[in-house]
Amino acid sequence: MEILRYKTDAWGQRVLEGASWDLVWLFVGGAIVFIVFHAIYTHRKLKLMRQDDADE
Amino acid sequence: MNNNVGVHPEARVPRHRLADRLFHWLMAASMLMLLATGFLPIFGIKFAWVDPHWIAGVILTLLVLFHVIRVILILDFSHIWIRWREFIDSFRSTTREALGGRRQKRHIGKYSVGQKVFHHGVAIVVLAAIVTGLVMMVGIDGPFWERNPLFMSEGMRGIVFVVHGFTGLFSIMMIMVHIYFAIRPEKLYMTRSMLRGWISQNEYDDHHDPARWSSTEG
Repeated sequence: MEILRYKTDAWGQRVLEGASWDLVWLFVGGAIVFIVFHAIYTHRKLKLMRQDDADE
Repeated sequence: MNNNVGVHPEARVPRHRLADRLFHWLMAASMLMLLATGFLPIFGIKFAWVDPHWIAGVILTLLVLFHVIRVILILDFSHIWIRWREFIDSFRSTTREALGGRRQKRHIGKYSVGQKVFHHGVAIVVLAAIVTGLVMMVGIDGPFWERNPLFMSEGMRGIVFVVHGFTGLFSIMMIMVHIYFAIRPEKLYMTRSMLRGWISQNEYDDHHDPARWSSTEG
């Protein structure tokens, strides 16, 4: 996976063109991983809080 | 914790004024327009995307200017500023909980530390997108200006395009996470308040600390 895109200019030199669009899926995947981990963590936390409340 | 003894539980606590709600939703619409016009052509959906893209960018720029002016003149900057003690307390209690320690319900100010961190992340990304976007606009023809392709060197143009591209990539991630938090059951009352402007006294008592955010402040 490339991070940057390059192109060849009028003089035949390799120049920077922009961010690689392959990274879109990395960022989408990163967001999904964060959401899944947070959802699991919060679900577990809320469950344990309810148990703590019931024990008191 | 509750200093509102005697206040009706269904009383309304003002949270977001109309101007701030309009700013939020117009910013959301312009961000979605920018992402759609910026990324759909990359995935093969071809259309004349340049004009709607820069117009949405100019609208976003004006909205951010409007927000900055409101922050300076009207809004209370201390609500969104992260204090060191607050950050450390939040970090410690989250770490303690994650490691199996006792879980405690925390009362926050107007915004949680997580919301403040998110706000500052969005601020950095959007400001970088605006600055690079305005520079990129010099390279296209517009209604009031002619393009100047020699405005900057090829190397500098590449750097500007890289930064602008990464702001788009980070925006996708941030919008996904923002929508996730907006629809979480325990955060829905905040999302509702971005529509109707207020939360109930019960919601205020359950989640917020009057010492950090007074129910009369808005």
